[in-house]
Amino acid sequence: MIFLKLIGGFLIIFSSAILGFNYGNRFSKRFENLCFLEQCIKILETEIVYGAYPLPDALSNVYTKGNKKVSFIFERIKSHLLGSREGDVFNSFLSVADTVKDELSFKDEDIELFLSLGRILGSSDREDQEKNFRIVLNQIKLLQEDAKMEMDKNEKMYKNLGILMGIAIVLILL
Amino acid sequence: MGKKDIGIYENVLEYISLELSNILKKIPATYKANIEEIRLRSGAPLNIYCMNRDYFVTREGMITNEKEKGVMVERNDIMKTFQLISNYSVYAFEEEIRNGFITLKGGHRVGIGGKVLYGANGIDKIKNISSLNIRIAREKLGISNKLVKYIVDFPDSIYNTLIISPPQCGKTTILRDLIRNLSSGIDLLQGKGFKIGVIDERSEIAGMYNGIPQHNIGPRTDVLDGCNKKDGTMMLLRSMSPEIIAMDEIGNIQDVEAIHEILKAGVKIIATVHGNSIDDLLSRRSLNILVNDRIFKRYVFLDNSQGVGTIKSIIDGDTFTPI
Repeated sequence: MIFLKLIGGFLIIFSSAILGFNYGNRFSKRFENLCFLEQCIKILETEIVYGAYPLPDALSNVYTKGNKKVSFIFERIKSHLLGSREGDVFNSFLSVADTVKDELSFKDEDIELFLSLGRILGSSDREDQEKNFRIVLNQIKLLQEDAKMEMDKNEKMYKNLGILMGIAIVLILL
Repeated sequence: MGKKDIGIYENVLEYISLELSNILKKIPATYKANIEEIRLRSGAPLNIYCMNRDYFVTREGMITNEKEKGVMVERNDIMKTFQLISNYSVYAFEEEIRNGFITLKGGHRVGIGGKVLYGANGIDKIKNISSLNIRIAREKLGISNKLVKYIVDFPDSIYNTLIISPPQCGKTTILRDLIRNLSSGIDLLQGKGFKIGVIDERSEIAGMYNGIPQHNIGPRTDVLDGCNKKDGTMMLLRSMSPEIIAMDEIGNIQDVEAIHEILKAGVKIIATVHGNSIDDLLSRRSLNILVNDRIFKRYVFLDNSQGVGTIKSIIDGDTFTPI
Protein backbone atom coordinates (compact mmCIF):
# COMPACT_ATOMS: atom_id res chain seq x y z
CA MET A 1 0.00 0.00 0.00
CA ILE A 2 2.69 2.44 1.01
CA PHE A 3 4.52 1.50 -2.16
CA LEU A 4 1.55 2.45 -4.31
CA LYS A 5 1.22 5.76 -2.43
CA LEU A 6 4.87 6.48 -3.08
CA ILE A 7 4.51 5.82 -6.78
CA GLY A 8 1.34 7.94 -6.99
CA GLY A 9 2.99 10.79 -5.13
CA PHE A 10 5.98 10.62 -7.33
CA LEU A 11 3.82 10.71 -10.48
CA ILE A 12 1.95 13.77 -9.24
CA ILE A 13 5.14 15.64 -8.43
CA PHE A 14 6.68 14.60 -11.71
CA SER A 15 3.75 15.74 -13.85
CA SER A 16 3.25 19.07 -12.12
CA ALA A 17 7.00 19.66 -12.37
CA ILE A 18 6.79 19.09 -16.12
CA LEU A 19 3.86 21.45 -16.30
CA GLY A 20 5.81 24.17 -14.49
CA PHE A 21 8.87 23.45 -16.55
CA ASN A 22 6.98 23.80 -19.80
CA TYR A 23 5.32 27.00 -18.73
CA GLY A 24 8.61 28.46 -17.58
CA ASN A 25 10.32 27.36 -20.76
CA ARG A 26 8.03 29.52 -22.87
CA PHE A 27 9.78 32.61 -21.56
CA SER A 28 13.22 31.45 -22.54
CA LYS A 29 11.92 30.18 -25.87
CA ARG A 30 10.43 33.57 -26.66
CA PHE A 31 13.68 35.31 -25.85
CA GLU A 32 15.70 32.83 -27.85
CA ASN A 33 13.42 33.07 -30.88
CA LEU A 34 13.42 36.86 -30.78
CA CYS A 35 17.20 36.70 -30.98
CA PHE A 36 17.00 34.34 -33.97
CA LEU A 37 14.37 36.57 -35.58
CA GLU A 38 16.68 39.57 -35.19
CA GLN A 39 19.44 37.59 -36.85
CA CYS A 40 17.09 36.67 -39.74
CA ILE A 41 15.95 40.27 -40.19
CA LYS A 42 19.57 41.41 -40.28
CA ILE A 43 20.28 38.88 -43.01
CA LEU A 44 17.22 40.06 -44.90
CA GLU A 45 18.41 43.65 -44.57
CA THR A 46 21.78 42.77 -46.06
CA GLU A 47 20.17 40.86 -48.90
CA ILE A 48 17.89 43.76 -49.75
CA VAL A 49 19.86 46.90 -48.99
CA TYR A 50 23.31 45.75 -50.09
CA GLY A 51 22.57 42.80 -52.35
CA ALA A 52 19.43 44.19 -54.00
CA TYR A 53 18.22 40.63 -54.54
CA PRO A 54 14.58 40.31 -55.60
CA LEU A 55 12.41 39.62 -52.57
CA PRO A 56 11.68 35.92 -53.25
CA ASP A 57 15.41 35.21 -53.61
CA ALA A 58 16.20 37.29 -50.55
CA LEU A 59 13.64 35.30 -48.51
CA SER A 60 15.17 32.02 -49.68
CA ASN A 61 18.61 33.23 -48.70
CA VAL A 62 17.37 34.14 -45.24
CA TYR A 63 16.01 30.62 -44.90
CA THR A 64 19.33 29.02 -45.81
CA LYS A 65 21.58 31.40 -43.89
CA GLY A 66 19.49 31.93 -40.76
CA ASN A 67 18.80 29.60 -37.85
CA LYS A 68 16.22 27.09 -39.05
CA LYS A 69 14.26 27.32 -35.79
CA VAL A 70 12.96 30.68 -37.01
CA SER A 71 14.05 31.08 -40.62
CA PHE A 72 11.56 28.47 -41.85
CA ILE A 73 8.87 31.16 -41.68
CA PHE A 74 10.63 33.15 -44.40
CA GLU A 75 10.54 30.16 -46.71
CA ARG A 76 6.82 29.82 -46.02
CA ILE A 77 6.27 33.50 -46.78
CA LYS A 78 8.06 33.04 -50.08
CA SER A 79 5.92 30.03 -51.03
CA HIS A 80 2.76 31.94 -50.23
CA LEU A 81 3.98 34.99 -52.13
CA LEU A 82 4.74 33.08 -55.31
CA GLY A 83 1.76 30.75 -54.95
CA SER A 84 -0.94 33.34 -54.39
CA ARG A 85 0.14 35.94 -56.99
CA GLU A 86 -1.86 38.48 -55.00
CA GLY A 87 0.69 41.22 -55.38
CA ASP A 88 0.59 41.83 -51.65
CA VAL A 89 3.51 41.01 -49.36
CA PHE A 90 1.56 41.86 -46.22
CA ASN A 91 -1.00 39.12 -46.92
CA SER A 92 1.80 36.60 -47.15
CA PHE A 93 3.08 37.73 -43.77
CA LEU A 94 -0.43 37.46 -42.35
CA SER A 95 -0.71 33.92 -43.67
CA VAL A 96 2.10 32.75 -41.38
CA ALA A 97 1.22 34.94 -38.37
CA ASP A 98 -0.68 32.18 -36.54
CA THR A 99 2.07 29.64 -37.07
CA VAL A 100 4.59 32.12 -35.80
CA LYS A 101 2.61 32.78 -32.68
CA ASP A 102 2.07 29.13 -31.81
CA GLU A 103 5.36 27.63 -32.80
CA LEU A 104 7.68 30.36 -31.64
CA SER A 105 5.91 31.29 -28.35
CA PHE A 106 5.63 34.89 -29.47
CA LYS A 107 3.36 37.42 -27.81
CA ASP A 108 0.98 39.75 -29.63
CA GLU A 109 3.44 42.64 -29.67
CA ASP A 110 6.09 40.41 -31.25
CA ILE A 111 3.66 39.40 -33.99
CA GLU A 112 2.76 43.04 -34.54
CA LEU A 113 6.40 43.94 -35.09
CA PHE A 114 6.82 41.01 -37.44
CA LEU A 115 3.79 42.09 -39.45
CA SER A 116 4.99 45.68 -39.61
CA LEU A 117 7.99 44.34 -41.49
CA GLY A 118 5.56 42.85 -44.03
CA ARG A 119 3.90 46.20 -44.54
CA ILE A 120 7.01 47.89 -45.87
CA LEU A 121 9.03 45.06 -47.34
CA GLY A 122 9.88 45.52 -51.00
CA SER A 123 7.54 48.43 -51.55
CA SER A 124 10.06 51.28 -51.66
CA ASP A 125 13.59 52.14 -52.68
CA ARG A 126 16.70 50.97 -50.92
CA GLU A 127 17.21 54.04 -48.77
CA ASP A 128 13.68 53.80 -47.46
CA GLN A 129 13.95 50.06 -46.88
CA GLU A 130 17.11 50.63 -44.87
CA LYS A 131 15.39 53.20 -42.65
CA ASN A 132 12.52 50.85 -42.00
CA PHE A 133 14.86 47.99 -41.18
CA ARG A 134 16.57 50.27 -38.61
CA ILE A 135 13.22 50.95 -36.97
CA VAL A 136 12.23 47.28 -36.86
CA LEU A 137 15.61 46.24 -35.52
CA ASN A 138 15.48 48.90 -32.81
CA GLN A 139 12.07 47.73 -31.75
CA ILE A 140 13.09 44.11 -31.69
CA LYS A 141 15.90 45.07 -29.30
CA LEU A 142 13.30 46.53 -26.93
CA LEU A 143 11.18 43.41 -27.19
CA GLN A 144 14.23 41.29 -26.45
CA GLU A 145 14.95 43.29 -23.30
CA ASP A 146 11.37 42.83 -22.24
CA ALA A 147 11.52 39.10 -22.97
CA LYS A 148 14.78 38.79 -21.07
CA MET A 149 13.32 40.53 -18.05
CA GLU A 150 10.28 38.30 -18.05
CA MET A 151 12.47 35.27 -18.49
CA ASP A 152 14.69 36.12 -15.52
CA LYS A 153 11.70 36.88 -13.37
CA ASN A 154 9.36 34.07 -14.30
CA GLU A 155 11.22 31.12 -15.71
CA LYS A 156 12.75 29.89 -12.41
CA MET A 157 9.62 30.80 -10.51
CA TYR A 158 7.31 28.69 -12.68
CA LYS A 159 9.71 25.78 -12.68
CA ASN A 160 9.97 25.83 -8.89
CA LEU A 161 6.27 26.44 -8.54
CA GLY A 162 5.56 23.29 -10.55
CA ILE A 163 7.58 21.10 -8.22
CA LEU A 164 6.26 22.80 -5.11
CA MET A 165 2.65 22.45 -6.27
CA GLY A 166 3.24 18.76 -6.79
CA ILE A 167 4.67 18.38 -3.31
CA ALA A 168 1.78 20.38 -1.85
CA ILE A 169 -0.83 18.21 -3.56
CA VAL A 170 0.90 15.06 -2.36
CA LEU A 171 1.05 16.38 1.18
CA ILE A 172 -2.66 17.23 1.16
CA LEU A 173 -3.57 13.81 -0.24
CA LEU A 174 -1.43 12.02 2.30
CA MET B 1 0.06 34.62 -85.49
CA GLY B 2 -1.46 31.88 -83.47
CA LYS B 3 -0.65 29.78 -80.47
CA LYS B 4 2.75 31.32 -79.89
CA ASP B 5 1.33 34.85 -79.79
CA ILE B 6 -1.42 33.81 -77.40
CA GLY B 7 1.25 32.14 -75.27
CA ILE B 8 3.24 35.36 -75.15
CA TYR B 9 0.10 37.26 -74.13
CA GLU B 10 -0.66 34.80 -71.37
CA ASN B 11 2.87 35.05 -70.03
CA VAL B 12 2.45 38.79 -69.77
CA LEU B 13 -0.79 38.37 -67.81
CA GLU B 14 1.26 36.73 -65.05
CA TYR B 15 2.46 40.25 -64.21
CA ILE B 16 -0.98 41.80 -63.90
CA SER B 17 -3.02 41.81 -60.69
CA LEU B 18 -5.21 38.74 -60.30
CA GLU B 19 -8.57 40.46 -60.81
CA LEU B 20 -7.56 42.23 -63.99
CA SER B 21 -5.67 39.30 -65.41
CA ASN B 22 -8.73 37.09 -64.92
CA ILE B 23 -10.72 39.59 -66.99
CA LEU B 24 -8.02 39.88 -69.64
CA LYS B 25 -7.85 36.10 -69.94
CA LYS B 26 -11.39 36.12 -71.33
CA ILE B 27 -10.88 38.43 -74.31
CA PRO B 28 -11.33 36.85 -77.78
CA ALA B 29 -8.36 34.95 -79.23
CA THR B 30 -7.79 37.26 -82.21
CA TYR B 31 -7.23 40.15 -79.82
CA LYS B 32 -4.95 38.02 -77.68
CA ALA B 33 -2.76 37.24 -80.65
CA ASN B 34 -2.52 40.82 -81.91
CA ILE B 35 -2.50 42.89 -78.74
CA GLU B 36 0.22 45.52 -78.62
CA GLU B 37 -0.34 47.36 -75.39
CA ILE B 38 -2.23 46.89 -72.16
CA ARG B 39 -2.80 50.21 -70.43
CA LEU B 40 -3.72 50.59 -66.79
CA ARG B 41 -4.63 54.05 -65.57
CA SER B 42 -5.79 54.74 -62.07
CA GLY B 43 -9.49 55.63 -62.14
CA ALA B 44 -9.90 55.02 -65.88
CA PRO B 45 -11.30 52.03 -67.76
CA LEU B 46 -9.02 49.14 -68.73
CA ASN B 47 -7.63 49.92 -72.16
CA ILE B 48 -5.88 47.77 -74.76
CA TYR B 49 -4.21 48.61 -78.07
CA CYS B 50 -4.67 46.14 -80.80
CA MET B 51 -4.25 46.34 -84.58
CA ASN B 52 -3.66 50.12 -84.43
CA ARG B 53 -6.83 50.87 -82.51
CA ASP B 54 -7.68 51.12 -78.87
CA TYR B 55 -10.48 49.28 -77.14
CA PHE B 56 -11.90 49.07 -73.64
CA VAL B 57 -12.42 45.76 -71.88
CA THR B 58 -15.62 45.03 -69.95
CA ARG B 59 -15.85 43.10 -66.71
CA GLU B 60 -16.94 40.04 -68.72
CA GLY B 61 -13.84 40.22 -70.90
CA MET B 62 -15.67 41.62 -73.93
CA ILE B 63 -14.14 44.25 -76.20
CA THR B 64 -15.99 47.55 -76.53
CA ASN B 65 -15.57 51.07 -77.84
CA GLU B 66 -17.73 52.63 -75.15
CA LYS B 67 -15.64 53.80 -72.26
CA GLU B 68 -18.54 53.63 -69.80
CA LYS B 69 -18.70 49.85 -70.17
CA GLY B 70 -15.01 49.31 -69.52
CA VAL B 71 -13.97 47.88 -66.19
CA MET B 72 -12.46 50.54 -63.92
CA VAL B 73 -8.85 50.18 -62.89
CA GLU B 74 -8.39 51.05 -59.22
CA ARG B 75 -5.28 52.44 -57.60
CA ASN B 76 -5.01 49.15 -55.77
CA ASP B 77 -4.81 47.20 -59.06
CA ILE B 78 -1.96 49.42 -60.13
CA MET B 79 -0.12 48.89 -56.84
CA LYS B 80 -0.53 45.12 -57.03
CA THR B 81 0.51 44.99 -60.67
CA PHE B 82 3.52 47.12 -59.90
CA GLN B 83 4.49 44.73 -57.11
CA LEU B 84 4.23 41.77 -59.47
CA ILE B 85 6.18 43.55 -62.20
CA SER B 86 8.99 44.45 -59.83
CA ASN B 87 8.85 40.94 -58.32
CA TYR B 88 7.95 42.51 -54.95
CA SER B 89 11.29 44.29 -55.05
CA VAL B 90 10.96 47.96 -55.88
CA TYR B 91 14.38 48.51 -54.33
CA ALA B 92 15.99 46.29 -56.97
CA PHE B 93 14.63 48.41 -59.82
CA GLU B 94 15.54 51.93 -58.62
CA GLU B 95 17.57 52.72 -61.71
CA GLU B 96 14.94 51.37 -64.09
CA ILE B 97 12.15 53.26 -62.36
CA ARG B 98 14.18 56.45 -62.63
CA ASN B 99 14.35 55.85 -66.39
CA GLY B 100 10.61 55.37 -66.46
CA PHE B 101 10.33 51.74 -67.44
CA ILE B 102 11.04 48.17 -66.40
CA THR B 103 11.86 45.35 -68.82
CA LEU B 104 10.12 42.06 -68.12
CA LYS B 105 11.23 38.54 -68.93
CA GLY B 106 10.47 38.09 -72.62
CA GLY B 107 11.60 41.61 -73.49
CA HIS B 108 8.24 43.27 -72.78
CA ARG B 109 8.46 46.78 -71.47
CA VAL B 110 6.40 48.43 -68.80
CA GLY B 111 6.26 52.23 -68.87
CA ILE B 112 5.56 54.00 -65.59
CA GLY B 113 3.65 57.22 -64.98
CA GLY B 114 3.32 58.98 -61.65
CA LYS B 115 4.66 61.74 -59.46
CA VAL B 116 8.31 62.36 -60.31
CA LEU B 117 10.58 63.49 -57.49
CA TYR B 118 13.88 65.22 -58.14
CA GLY B 119 17.02 64.73 -56.09
CA ALA B 120 20.52 66.13 -56.33
CA ASN B 121 21.34 64.11 -59.44
CA GLY B 122 18.22 64.50 -61.54
CA ILE B 123 15.18 62.28 -61.19
CA ASP B 124 15.29 60.56 -57.84
CA LYS B 125 12.20 58.39 -57.84
CA ILE B 126 8.66 58.04 -59.09
CA LYS B 127 5.97 57.70 -56.46
CA ASN B 128 2.17 57.57 -56.47
CA ILE B 129 2.26 55.50 -59.61
CA SER B 130 -0.85 56.29 -61.59
CA SER B 131 -0.43 54.57 -64.91
CA LEU B 132 1.30 51.56 -66.37
CA ASN B 133 1.72 50.79 -70.04
CA ILE B 134 2.63 47.20 -70.77
CA ARG B 135 4.03 46.95 -74.29
CA ILE B 136 4.04 43.44 -75.56
CA ALA B 137 7.18 42.69 -77.53
CA ARG B 138 6.80 40.36 -80.45
CA GLU B 139 9.78 39.65 -82.55
CA LYS B 140 8.91 39.05 -86.15
CA LEU B 141 11.64 36.84 -87.50
CA GLY B 142 12.23 37.35 -91.19
CA ILE B 143 10.47 40.72 -91.45
CA SER B 144 13.67 42.33 -92.77
CA ASN B 145 14.61 39.60 -95.25
CA LYS B 146 13.42 41.64 -98.21
CA LEU B 147 15.25 44.71 -97.01
CA VAL B 148 18.71 43.16 -96.79
CA LYS B 149 19.45 43.18 -100.51
CA TYR B 150 18.89 46.94 -100.71
CA ILE B 151 21.42 47.82 -98.05
CA VAL B 152 24.23 45.46 -99.01
CA ASP B 153 27.27 47.27 -100.41
CA PHE B 154 29.16 44.71 -102.47
CA PRO B 155 31.58 43.06 -102.04
CA ASP B 156 31.64 42.91 -98.27
CA SER B 157 29.96 45.82 -96.55
CA ILE B 158 26.64 47.56 -96.05
CA TYR B 159 25.38 51.12 -96.56
CA ASN B 160 24.72 53.44 -93.66
CA THR B 161 21.00 53.06 -93.26
CA LEU B 162 18.31 55.13 -91.56
CA ILE B 163 14.91 53.59 -90.89
CA ILE B 164 12.14 56.18 -90.70
CA SER B 165 8.55 55.70 -89.63
CA PRO B 166 5.76 57.12 -87.49
CA PRO B 167 5.32 55.50 -84.05
CA GLN B 168 3.97 51.96 -83.83
CA CYS B 169 4.94 51.02 -87.38
CA GLY B 170 7.65 48.57 -86.45
CA LYS B 171 10.88 50.58 -86.54
CA THR B 172 12.45 48.68 -83.70
CA THR B 173 11.09 45.36 -84.92
CA ILE B 174 12.67 45.85 -88.35
CA LEU B 175 15.94 47.09 -86.84
CA ARG B 176 16.13 44.08 -84.55
CA ASP B 177 15.51 41.63 -87.36
CA LEU B 178 18.01 43.41 -89.59
CA ILE B 179 20.60 43.07 -86.82
CA ARG B 180 19.78 39.38 -86.57
CA ASN B 181 20.13 38.91 -90.33
CA LEU B 182 23.40 40.80 -90.65
CA SER B 183 24.86 39.20 -87.56
CA SER B 184 23.88 35.66 -88.57
CA GLY B 185 25.40 36.04 -92.01
CA ILE B 186 23.78 36.77 -95.34
CA ASP B 187 23.79 34.66 -98.48
CA LEU B 188 24.42 37.66 -100.73
CA LEU B 189 27.86 38.03 -99.18
CA GLN B 190 28.68 34.31 -99.18
CA GLY B 191 27.40 33.90 -95.67
CA LYS B 192 29.48 36.69 -94.17
CA GLY B 193 28.23 37.82 -90.80
CA PHE B 194 29.05 41.20 -89.29
CA LYS B 195 30.27 42.07 -85.82
CA ILE B 196 27.51 44.34 -84.58
CA GLY B 197 27.51 46.60 -81.55
CA VAL B 198 24.03 47.53 -80.40
CA ILE B 199 23.49 50.59 -78.24
CA ASP B 200 20.19 49.73 -76.67
CA GLU B 201 19.41 52.91 -74.78
CA ARG B 202 15.81 51.97 -74.06
CA SER B 203 16.29 48.21 -73.72
CA GLU B 204 13.94 47.68 -76.61
CA ILE B 205 16.14 46.12 -79.26
CA ALA B 206 17.59 43.19 -77.38
CA GLY B 207 15.19 43.28 -74.43
CA MET B 208 17.92 42.39 -71.94
CA TYR B 209 16.68 40.59 -68.83
CA ASN B 210 19.32 39.65 -66.26
CA GLY B 211 22.00 39.96 -68.90
CA ILE B 212 20.34 37.65 -71.42
CA PRO B 213 18.88 39.05 -74.66
CA GLN B 214 15.23 38.07 -74.83
CA HIS B 215 15.09 38.47 -78.60
CA ASN B 216 17.08 36.78 -81.30
CA ILE B 217 19.74 39.29 -82.29
CA GLY B 218 22.23 36.95 -83.92
CA PRO B 219 25.47 35.32 -82.82
CA ARG B 220 27.88 38.20 -83.52
CA THR B 221 26.08 40.92 -81.61
CA ASP B 222 27.28 42.79 -78.52
CA VAL B 223 24.78 44.85 -76.57
CA LEU B 224 25.27 47.91 -74.38
CA ASP B 225 22.04 47.92 -72.48
CA GLY B 226 20.62 51.19 -71.12
CA CYS B 227 23.62 53.15 -72.34
CA ASN B 228 23.27 56.55 -73.96
CA LYS B 229 24.36 56.79 -77.58
CA LYS B 230 27.33 59.11 -77.12
CA ASP B 231 28.94 57.09 -74.32
CA GLY B 232 27.98 53.82 -75.96
CA THR B 233 29.60 54.77 -79.23
CA MET B 234 32.89 55.61 -77.54
CA MET B 235 32.85 52.40 -75.54
CA LEU B 236 32.10 50.22 -78.55
CA LEU B 237 34.66 51.90 -80.80
CA ARG B 238 37.35 51.73 -78.16
CA SER B 239 37.10 48.11 -77.27
CA MET B 240 34.61 46.02 -79.20
CA SER B 241 35.83 46.61 -82.79
CA PRO B 242 32.38 46.51 -84.35
CA GLU B 243 31.80 46.55 -88.11
CA ILE B 244 28.32 47.95 -87.67
CA ILE B 245 26.81 50.00 -84.85
CA ALA B 246 23.05 49.90 -84.47
CA MET B 247 21.01 52.38 -82.45
CA ASP B 248 17.38 53.23 -81.96
CA GLU B 249 15.60 56.60 -82.07
CA ILE B 250 18.30 59.11 -82.90
CA GLY B 251 17.34 62.75 -82.79
CA ASN B 252 19.34 65.09 -80.61
CA ILE B 253 22.61 66.81 -81.30
CA GLN B 254 24.66 64.40 -79.17
CA ASP B 255 23.45 61.54 -81.32
CA VAL B 256 24.71 63.38 -84.38
CA GLU B 257 28.10 63.80 -82.74
CA ALA B 258 28.12 60.10 -81.93
CA ILE B 259 27.38 59.29 -85.56
CA HIS B 260 30.29 61.45 -86.73
CA GLU B 261 32.55 59.54 -84.34
CA ILE B 262 31.36 56.29 -85.86
CA LEU B 263 32.09 57.52 -89.37
CA LYS B 264 35.57 58.63 -88.37
CA ALA B 265 36.29 55.09 -87.26
CA GLY B 266 35.08 53.67 -90.56
CA VAL B 267 32.25 51.76 -88.95
CA LYS B 268 28.81 51.48 -90.58
CA ILE B 269 25.61 52.69 -88.93
CA ILE B 270 22.06 51.46 -88.84
CA ALA B 271 19.70 53.74 -86.96
CA THR B 272 16.02 54.54 -86.65
CA VAL B 273 14.17 57.81 -86.28
CA HIS B 274 10.60 59.07 -85.92
CA GLY B 275 9.29 60.77 -89.02
CA ASN B 276 7.27 60.61 -92.23
CA SER B 277 9.39 61.99 -95.04
CA ILE B 278 12.76 63.46 -95.96
CA ASP B 279 11.28 66.95 -95.56
CA ASP B 280 10.24 66.00 -92.07
CA LEU B 281 13.88 65.11 -91.28
CA LEU B 282 15.17 68.29 -92.89
CA SER B 283 12.93 70.36 -90.64
CA ARG B 284 14.79 69.12 -87.57
CA ARG B 285 18.09 70.85 -86.98
CA SER B 286 20.18 67.89 -85.85
CA LEU B 287 18.84 65.52 -88.48
CA ASN B 288 19.19 68.19 -91.14
CA ILE B 289 22.97 68.01 -90.66
CA LEU B 290 22.94 64.26 -91.22
CA VAL B 291 20.82 64.46 -94.36
CA ASN B 292 22.79 67.33 -95.92
CA ASP B 293 26.13 65.70 -95.17
CA ARG B 294 24.88 62.71 -97.15
CA ILE B 295 25.80 60.43 -94.29
CA PHE B 296 23.08 57.87 -94.85
CA LYS B 297 23.06 56.10 -98.19
CA ARG B 298 19.72 54.40 -97.68
CA TYR B 299 16.54 55.81 -96.18
CA VAL B 300 13.94 53.16 -95.46
CA PHE B 301 10.40 54.42 -94.90
CA LEU B 302 7.89 52.21 -93.12
CA ASP B 303 4.16 52.35 -92.70
CA ASN B 304 1.31 50.27 -91.45
CA SER B 305 -0.60 49.68 -94.66
CA GLN B 306 0.03 45.92 -94.79
CA GLY B 307 0.67 45.29 -91.12
CA VAL B 308 3.46 46.41 -88.83
CA GLY B 309 6.79 46.83 -90.60
CA THR B 310 5.56 47.35 -94.17
CA ILE B 311 8.33 48.87 -96.28
CA LYS B 312 6.81 51.87 -98.05
CA SER B 313 9.84 53.04 -99.96
CA ILE B 314 13.61 52.97 -99.98
CA ILE B 315 15.38 56.15 -101.01
CA ASP B 316 18.98 56.50 -102.13
CA GLY B 317 20.87 58.92 -99.88
CA ASP B 318 22.91 60.58 -102.62
CA THR B 319 20.31 61.23 -105.29
CA PHE B 320 17.19 61.20 -103.12
CA THR B 321 15.42 59.02 -105.65
CA PRO B 322 13.56 55.82 -104.84
CA ILE B 323 15.31 52.53 -105.52
